Parts: sequence; structure tokens; C-alpha cells
Amino acid sequence: MTEGMVSEWFIADGAKVKKGEMLYALETEKVNLDVDAEMDGFVKHTVEAGVMLAPGDVVGYIFAFDEPIPADFAGVASPAAAVVAAPKAAAPAAAVSAMPEPVTADSGDGRLKSSPAARRLASELGVALAGLAGSGPGGRIVEADVQQATLQPGFSAGAVSQANVEMKINASPLARRLATERGIDLSQIKGSGPQGRIVQADLDQAPLASGRAAPAQAGPTAGSSVPVRGMRKTIAQRMHQSLQTSAQLSMDMTAQMDDAVRLRGQLLKEWDGEARPTYTDLVIKAVAKALVQHPMMNSRFDDTEITLLREINMGLAVSVPEGLLVPVIRGVHELSLKQIAQESARLAAAARAGTLGLDDYAGGTFTISALGMFGVNSFTPIINQPQTGILGVNQLFDGLSWEGDKPIKTKQMNLSLTWDHRSVDGAPAAEFLASVVEFLSEPYRLLL
Amino acid sequence: MNEFDVVVIGGGPGGYAAGIRAAQLGLSVALVEREALGGTCLNWGCIPTKSLLHSAELYTQMCSASDFGIEAKSVGFDLSKIVQKSRQAADQLSQGIAQLMKKNKIQVFTGDASIVSVGQVQVNDQVLVTDSIVIATGAEQKSLGPIAIDGQQIWGAREAMTPAALPARLLIVGAGAIGVEFASFYQALGSAVTLLEVAPNILPAEDTDISALAAEALAQRGINVQVGQGLQALTSLADCVEATIAGETIQFDAAILSVGVAARVQGLGLEALGVTMDRGFIVVDERQQTSIAGIYAIGDVAGAPCLAHKATHEAMIAAETIAGHAVQGLQRDRIPGCTYSFPQIASIGLREQDAGDRAVRVGRFPLYANGKAVVSGHTEGMIKTIFDAETGALLGAHLIGDSVTELIQGFAVAIGLETTEHELLETIFPHPTVSEAMQESVMLAFDRPLHL
Repeated sequence: MTEGMVSEWFIADGAKVKKGEMLYALETEKVNLDVDAEMDGFVKHTVEAGVMLAPGDVVGYIFAFDEPIPADFAGVASPAAAVVAAPKAAAPAAAVSAMPEPVTADSGDGRLKSSPAARRLASELGVALAGLAGSGPGGRIVEADVQQATLQPGFSAGAVSQANVEMKINASPLARRLATERGIDLSQIKGSGPQGRIVQADLDQAPLASGRAAPAQAGPTAGSSVPVRGMRKTIAQRMHQSLQTSAQLSMDMTAQMDDAVRLRGQLLKEWDGEARPTYTDLVIKAVAKALVQHPMMNSRFDDTEITLLREINMGLAVSVPEGLLVPVIRGVHELSLKQIAQESARLAAAARAGTLGLDDYAGGTFTISALGMFGVNSFTPIINQPQTGILGVNQLFDGLSWEGDKPIKTKQMNLSLTWDHRSVDGAPAAEFLASVVEFLSEPYRLLL
Repeated sequence: MNEFDVVVIGGGPGGYAAGIRAAQLGLSVALVEREALGGTCLNWGCIPTKSLLHSAELYTQMCSASDFGIEAKSVGFDLSKIVQKSRQAADQLSQGIAQLMKKNKIQVFTGDASIVSVGQVQVNDQVLVTDSIVIATGAEQKSLGPIAIDGQQIWGAREAMTPAALPARLLIVGAGAIGVEFASFYQALGSAVTLLEVAPNILPAEDTDISALAAEALAQRGINVQVGQGLQALTSLADCVEATIAGETIQFDAAILSVGVAARVQGLGLEALGVTMDRGFIVVDERQQTSIAGIYAIGDVAGAPCLAHKATHEAMIAAETIAGHAVQGLQRDRIPGCTYSFPQIASIGLREQDAGDRAVRVGRFPLYANGKAVVSGHTEGMIKTIFDAETGALLGAHLIGDSVTELIQGFAVAIGLETTEHELLETIFPHPTVSEAMQESVMLAFDRPLHL
């Protein structure tokens, strides 16, 4: 989670709350959660509903009934009052919190607002300013915010890494503004000012800087613009980063689906509403079994070693109006087809209803993306980093197969595998995909 | 042994600063000065004139003390003591420079220097051997064609800052910073001053808004400001001068020539060395090196603007270059300029008349809307800021009013840091100060004034 907001306060400012009562609704780019009060007391809001926040931001306090309530909360570190903060997510949050631009200190026009003292301290302490909530005017990050950040348990290497690089850039306010306007990556520019500070003149020489007219034309033309934030921003960054950091390639293979179609029909009847298996569920099960046989496809590549993962957690790309969500079926290799069908249905419904919990995202090791319902026959999905593979599920179609010289109409489905060539070569990847196809062609094996 | 890492020729704000910086960086330094340490600035420029102007301002304030409920009877002045005070200040500071030379182990040679060859400087009968030479000889007053400074009725700056008696009728030729300062001084003490400028505006180096306000303010004080007028003739008579202006002959008790300066290079031997010159000034690169390797030039001798702080900054560049440090060259659009007239004028960066096709946002905040200015009775003046309309970069600031010379550094820092309007609007300016008007000007430029 990199940003979120209180979408609704269930308990009014100053009102009493009981432990366990619903306190507020938290909305992030991925989930909507109802947060319960952790103690009895009076609730004081410090943010209004609808204000964007960073992880760790305080949204309000609960004061014990006998506790004095201060007039001003600005300086309240308040060991006495329970801090109601936007919770930090576990595993999935760590992965996305390295986004280079924090929303809280982003002035909306893309400028990162921070004081010189905050930048210096952040640089000294190795704290990423990006991702910090700015408490200064207009969300500007000040020194105290940096100090606060070092005290937060969530500030581990993951949160600091990439964003930190961004903030170590020494650039003048004007240079930062111009870089944003002109789409120039400041990290690629050598500063000529004092102590290597990037100044305006450096940007004028930057290759991209010549297109001064371009942003003017690309600006307010016909129609509206869509702000890149929240889920869209996460998707944009993660997809782009995935393509930049790994060696991805794709291949298709066709599965004979006649038996699978029959099996599904029988199971629908037999389970009678307890579970409704989809073709994607069959593919999930087939992939889970194939991954057990081909553990390299269920691995994580990190330059010095390839970690083969014990658990198989299947990410399931679900389209929602705002974009795309990838909830995870955990321990999928240990689940029966029926359990998979139930779990995938639950997750898909929760995703569309916006009620997925933070745990529902955690720890995916392989992902399945289905576009078959749109008539797609082949595509090249992008790996959900740091996984090694993603399988695209295409539409079921009437194909031909041959019995001797005689063409027969059969049900077929193409499977599109994208994998990371850094860890798996073409032949073993093809073997893995062949295994998936084989399980689908002989679907009784999915029930074993 | 007269061997040094650096020999600096000239002990003004360029030369002595270059010497100190070079010494700080571990170099052995000799400094040659033929007159007094501190140069024109300290002895015959910035410092003594500020003393004179301070006396004149004090006198003016005492004359108007009753406006503030103060009774001051039989207020008068003693011109010789005013001059004496200014000389004391100059002497005191010059001695301070001598101490600084000692402290930094800089060997000072007194005499005229000439560069015999690259690496050799002759002073009197001694030859100083060195790796690097820094020329910091400054500039001297220009005469106006055939009209020469005679020290009697036709004065240069030196005579103008050491008057024996107050001229009843004074002509000042040239309304640059120096001319305007002398006009303010003499007018304040009671001279009938005519200020003549051949350009269409007084203070031609300033933004035209400022020039116009300054002309208005001077005229209001009783100075006869004549712009677009050349001096046709100036003749020294027995006890007065006769000036011909626009075909009319007028008598004055004294005339001050303040028509600019020329580089002081005579006798240095630059021609023989082949040092490249341009319109009388030494040509330097961005590290202050001349066309001859090992010879540097800083300050007035290296070209306009002829300002002490520009010389000092160039001194740092030259000394650090000589010591082998990477330096950033002088950024000419970031040199502030100050005129200590009544009212004062201070400016930095782009003038509006030079913006051309560049889209700019301009804020003009009058000081009468500033609380502190009202309290002190100095409501005359304005703070003008100029921003790039596209990027929000602060491009220039032009100030006129009481004590604005102490405000301009805020804008100098801002421009130096490449500030946009955002940072200036986020900064909290203390109340009540005249500096609040600086921020108000920025607010105006962005259509959100608070007190206007």
C-alpha cells in the first residue's frame, strides 16, 4: 500500500467508541477495509474522509475516557492515546512501497515538496523521502517527518531502496519543476552546479529537453485527462518495471479441451452450486500440478541466486473498473479442484466488490491471467515481479484435429506462457507448458 | 627569495580577496599595491561615500525629526567633519586589510608592478617569480572627451568626496550609480544640484520602472534632473564653471564628472605579452584566465559591471582555479547592484525591458502598503519581481526605497538556488518588516496579493 484514505468515518469526531466497533473505512488503491476500534474511548479525527494519506499516517486518536484531550494534536506523539493509523500492509505492500513518487508530498503537479534540511537528513540517514508523509505546509516533507520515518518499523530496505536513489538527487527547485514538466529523469543528469547540484542549464542540455513545445501540445487538448494515481499508478510502474528488469518472452501451446469440457459439465452437476468450476479453475489446477513437477517455474530470480519456492501461491488477475487486481490463492497445490473453484470465486467477487483483505494479495508465486472471455486467442502477459512465469488463458474454440486423414471438430484452447529467460530456458519452459496442456487434455488427473 | 605561488597585482576587494583565498588553499602569495590596501572601493569609493551619505541622511532625518515628535533645534553640519569621518572609516578598514594580509602570511609589496614575462613581476627594483599572476588593478575615472578633471571646479569622484566647501550650484554629469549618489549627498546638504544624463533615463543600467521612479523621487527632493541631454561644453573660470547644455550656458560653482570608468592597465606590460583586450578591458575566460596561460584578471580591469562584490567573487574563482579546484564561472545574471541614493535602489537579474518575447509575470508592490515602511515614514518606493511565466523561475528583482540595499540579498539567494515562486510563497517572512513587501511582490506577480 502506498496511499490510502479514510473513505468514511463511522464514528463521529468526539464521539464514543467501543472496542471492536467499526471505526472507519480505509480505501487504498487495492482494497477497502473496515477498521475496528482497538479500545474504548473518545474518537478524535485528525484527517477528514477523502484525504489521501501515506502508510503510517495518523488518521486520529482514541483517548481513554479518563484521559484529558489536548486542544491541538499537531505535537501529540501520545503514548497514552491509541493511535489509529492507516495500517501498513504486509508482504504486498513492501513490494509496491518503493514507488518513487509519494502521493502525500506530491503537490499534484508532480513536484516533490521537501525542505532542504529534510533532504539533507534523509540523504544522511538513507531514508527515502518518497513514501513519507509530509507534515509541512501543503504536504511538504520537513525534517521531523524524516526523523519520524526512521522510528517506523516498516522502514526497512524494501521501502527505502529505489525511492532513495530518487531523493539523493541534488537539484534546484526550478530544475525539479522543469524535469517534471518535460519528462526528464533527473537521475540521468549530471549536475553542474555547486556540489553537483542539477540546475536549469543542465536540463537545457538534456536530450529530452529539446521538446519544449511537445508538452504544450500534449496538454489540454480535446477530452479529459486521467490522473495517474492509485491503482493506475501502481499498475503502470509495476508493469514497466517488470519489462525493464527481466528477460521476458512468450510462447503459445494448444490444449485439447474436449475431455475438460465434459468433466466441467459433470462437476457443475455433481457439486450442485457448492462450487462452480470455470475453465480458468481447471487451468489453475493444471498449472499447480505442473509447477510441482517443474519447480524452476515457481521461483524467484535475484541476480545472485534463484530461489525455488516451496509454496505455490497462484495469483489471479481480475479485471475491475478501476484497473486490475491480482488476489492470490494460497497453497494452491494442496487444494482440491473444488476448493480452488470456491476460493477463486470468492476472490473474484471480493475483488469486484472492493472487499479484498490485505492478506488476499500476499505472496503470489505464479500468476494466471484470463482473457478468453473477450475472444482472445493469444497474448503476451507481463510477469508479475518477482515471479518467473505467468500463464495467459485464452478462449475455448472449435478447432480441428485429425483422426488419420479425417478432420474432427474438437474443443481447443491456447495457453500463452510468458516466462523469465534469466532463470528458465526455452526447452524447460516448453516442457512445463506441455505438462499443463497434458493435464488439461487428461483432466481426470486434475481430480487425483 | 622572492618566489611565490601567486602574485596578485592590486590590493582592492578583488586583489586582497584573491590573496586570502589562495593563502587559505595553501599557496604562498605576494600582493603588490601602489597606494592603499582596500583599493578604490575602500579608500575612494563604496566605503567613504557610504559614510558621507550616512551623515547626509542623519542630517535629513534630524531636520524632519519633528514629524516623529522629536524636537531638534539649531540642527547643522560641519562639512569638514563629515569628510573627516568618511576618511577615518576608510583608514580604519584599510588597516584592517593590512592585518588580514599579515594573518594570512601574504607578503605585501608597495609600488608599481609590471609583468616582465609570464611568471615574473617587477616591483620597483625587485623581481617576483611566480607560477600565477592575478591582475586586479581596477579601473579609474574616465574624462569626458576634452573635458578633464582639474581638481579645482571640475571634480572627479575623489574631489567630490573630499570637498573643502559646499558648492552652492553643482552640476553632475552622468547619472549612473555614482552620479546619483553624489546628487543625493549634495542635495541633502543644501546644494542646488543639476543632474545631467545623456541617456533617456537616469540609472540606465536599471529597470526602466525603477529609473522613472528614481527620477521622480530625485526631482521631488529638488534635484534638477535632465535626461537625454549631453554636455556641449564645460569651461573652468576663476571661481566657477560654465556649462553649455542644450545651447544654453549656465554657471555652476563646481561640476562632478561621473561618466564611467576605464580599466587601469597602463604600465603593466600587457601589450608586450599579447594579452587580449576588448574596449580597454582584459578579456578573460570563465575561470578568469586571460589569453595568456598563468595570467588571470579579476574585478573592474576584467570588465563590467565594475562592482566590488563582482571582483571579490571573481577573486574566489581565480584563486580556486589556481589551486586546482573545480569552479563554477561567474553567472552575470546573478550579480546584484546597489545604489545608495535617497531613496536607495537595488536590483538583480532580468530587467523587464529585456524580456523580449519571453513570457514573464511581474509583481510591483508599492511600499506604502507595507506596515513597517509606514511606521518609519519611508513609504516611497516599490519592489518589483519578474518571473518566467512558463516555469515560475525568479528571473529578476528591482527594488527602490529606503534600505532596500539590505533586502536584495534575499532575492540573490533565491535566484542562486533557482527558486520558483513556490518556495518564496511558502517562506514565512517576519512581521513587521519591509521584507514582507518582497513576498507581497511575488504574490502580486501570481495574482494573489494580500495587502493590495
